[in-house]
Amino acid sequence: MSVFDLMVNGQMYTVDADESMPLLWVLRDLLGLTGTKFSCGMGLCGSCTVLIDDEPVRSCVTPVSQVTGKSILTIEGLSEDASHPVQKAWLEERVTQCGYCQPGQIMNAMALIKKKPNPSDTDIDVAMGDVFCRCGTYQRVRSAIHRAAQEV
Amino acid sequence: MNNKISRRDFLKLSGIAGGGLVLAIYLEGCLPGTDTPTVVPVTPQGSPTPIPSFDWVADIYIKIDQDGVLTFTAFRSEMGQGIRTALAMLVAEELDVAWSAVRIVQADANSKYGDQQTGGSVSMATYHDIMRQAGAMARQMLLEVAAKVWGVDSAGCESEAGFVIHPDGTQKLSYGELAESASKLERPNRHPLKAPEKFKIVGTALGHWDAPQIVTGKAVYGFDVRLPGMLYAAIARCPVFDGTYASYDDAVTKTITGVKQVVALDDRIAVLADNSWAAIRGRNALKVTWDEGRNATIDSQQMMIDATNRLKKATKENILEAYYEIPYEAHATMEPMNCTANVRDGVCEVWAPTQSPQAVQLAVAGACNIPLAQVTVHVPLIGGGFGRRLQADYAEEAALLSQAVAGPVQVVWTRDDDIQHDFYHPMAVQYAFASLDKPAIPAIRVGNGTSVPTGAWRSVDQFTRAYSEQSFIDELAVALGRDPLDLRLELYENDKRALGVIQLVAEKSNWGSPLPAEQGRGMGYFATFGVTHVADVAEVTVDANSNVRVNRIVCAVDCGTVVNPDNVIAQMQGGIVFGLTAALKAEATIKNGRVQQSNFHDYPILRMDEMPVVEVYIVSSDRKSSGIGEMGVPPVAPAVANAVYAATGKRIRHIPIKPEDLKV
Repeated sequence: MSVFDLMVNGQMYTVDADESMPLLWVLRDLLGLTGTKFSCGMGLCGSCTVLIDDEPVRSCVTPVSQVTGKSILTIEGLSEDASHPVQKAWLEERVTQCGYCQPGQIMNAMALIKKKPNPSDTDIDVAMGDVFCRCGTYQRVRSAIHRAAQEV
Repeated sequence: MNNKISRRDFLKLSGIAGGGLVLAIYLEGCLPGTDTPTVVPVTPQGSPTPIPSFDWVADIYIKIDQDGVLTFTAFRSEMGQGIRTALAMLVAEELDVAWSAVRIVQADANSKYGDQQTGGSVSMATYHDIMRQAGAMARQMLLEVAAKVWGVDSAGCESEAGFVIHPDGTQKLSYGELAESASKLERPNRHPLKAPEKFKIVGTALGHWDAPQIVTGKAVYGFDVRLPGMLYAAIARCPVFDGTYASYDDAVTKTITGVKQVVALDDRIAVLADNSWAAIRGRNALKVTWDEGRNATIDSQQMMIDATNRLKKATKENILEAYYEIPYEAHATMEPMNCTANVRDGVCEVWAPTQSPQAVQLAVAGACNIPLAQVTVHVPLIGGGFGRRLQADYAEEAALLSQAVAGPVQVVWTRDDDIQHDFYHPMAVQYAFASLDKPAIPAIRVGNGTSVPTGAWRSVDQFTRAYSEQSFIDELAVALGRDPLDLRLELYENDKRALGVIQLVAEKSNWGSPLPAEQGRGMGYFATFGVTHVADVAEVTVDANSNVRVNRIVCAVDCGTVVNPDNVIAQMQGGIVFGLTAALKAEATIKNGRVQQSNFHDYPILRMDEMPVVEVYIVSSDRKSSGIGEMGVPPVAPAVANAVYAATGKRIRHIPIKPEDLKV
């Protein structure tokens, strides 16, 4: 067990954790930030995505020891009231069905829009190709990204 | 409670003190052979009609507080199909409450809500009219109180967005002010329903009520339940169905920081820890010798051969016949199975992401030997159901472990647990045949496998049936030298609703228009559970490497009266994606009694970059509302298979269709 200082959503946290513990479980089980979701545990599906220094990272395969001193952004850090342009676009395009994968979809979309303020459909395919949704909301995720890109 | 109202009353009222609750209104459940409802609602045209007959309805719980907020207690599980939103829309519409003033809470398991099992896409068909009546009755009571205050006839009063409007058109009273008095009224004799052309909420495109919580990460799924002192449990289960452990060694497990306890259940071993990661690591570190039992040799490939041999018939002249194969399918909900339980002093509280709260209640009571009345089941949001969560296995595990450690426990299934310990859609081989002299919808015989746990999977046997039937009709058309659309128009000539969606999808897809080389177009149609008609046209490209890409799917749906048209579109889009995963990507295979897949690398689901453009057209209808949750799935796979044939001339009679199937 080691002590780690983590900057999550602009706030400092100190956690006592095994150094191999993935950031996902630190967020969910130690810090109570349950917006970031567990689904595959192997970095395959994107549900657990958070931004680390603006890069999309699969938190289920990222040991906590690798993220100290970095800026971690989770779904909870966007806005409390769904006022962030990406969240608004998600509501306006009525994207969500079961919603479980959507925090991961949104965090990957955030990273894409930061890098490419006006992403093409191909950009979306590349950036979002490994972010799975079993309910099948892909078409609306695509529309929401285009909408958000215009508003960010 | 207002004790003056007898149990025999169709409408029951109660003013309950505390918590700002001032009006609760619900419809008394009617069991077969007991009281028949006597209330006569009024149709939009104003003429009385008898209440539709039903055997069993839930009590409907709605309340209006002093601020005029309408709280609807949802008694069907929400797993993305939008039912909480759609039911609340109907109540809010008739009651005349603004959508922004609607709150939704989820009911615990309780027989007072009727049968809460959420499956078969029946919620809307069962409750559409009842929700309207509940809202209309509450509105009428508010109108009567206001009329009394003003000393006018309630028939002259109107309502709008949470207010009763005086016949003079200027004075108004808010529902919040009126609710308490309304709660003391007897039930109204008449509660006119709104004319549909006056609808302000029903028929509009609304996102799910839960969406703001979802996009802020605040929505609470089963996995997000957190109780003080809760332990997390990961479980080692025998990889062979119905097997058990012979022995195990937990020495390494117990050295892992955070691991608190190892608990052996009858046939599985749980590792409990103070965080999920430690529990999973601890579970993975167990050295278990399994007693695999009688299923250790089962093999899905052999099952398919055996089932085909059982079905084989001697070929007859002028009979077209074909065999179609579908594999076992896993549900692969994005939220793996999980459940949280707290068993203390003979009382059990469960937080189960379940489609069947009452089945969970029953299973937990039985497993823990606790009276049913002492088992409370809360239902959080569900990260995908598709039928998997009609089962209660995950809840039994949580309750047994909580009972064993006398404290709260959350059972955490990993993805491999989820894929390998599912209740699978059954594999099937189907023998379809029809006369070439008198072409008809084919007769179909089905053979299944054995010894594998199976269960409902989005659209159940309708998926199986539609795949063979609609593939075969395409083959029949080819054998007869007919256009598949023309043949369908002939085969379904006596079914207006079938023709409606088939003609609409043909028109919208430009059926018959030329396509570039390597492309093909195929059609599938099915009336799932006989109630909702869906037709799809798929356009595919098969490239030089035999990769199938679905470019576009045009879908026409007739689900009767539509409540939330955007959600109908969403469910068709989602059903199509689910169907495409089955048609082109995933299958569960079994060898040596073990499911060979474990995660999304070998159970791949459709991806964003494979998503076709989907266009959905809704047939306008004032028929009885029918379901949409499962109905988008069945026509997809045959539409794609038929399109692949059109593109390549190769008839593939199994799914998923893989590039190697097309390389010859």
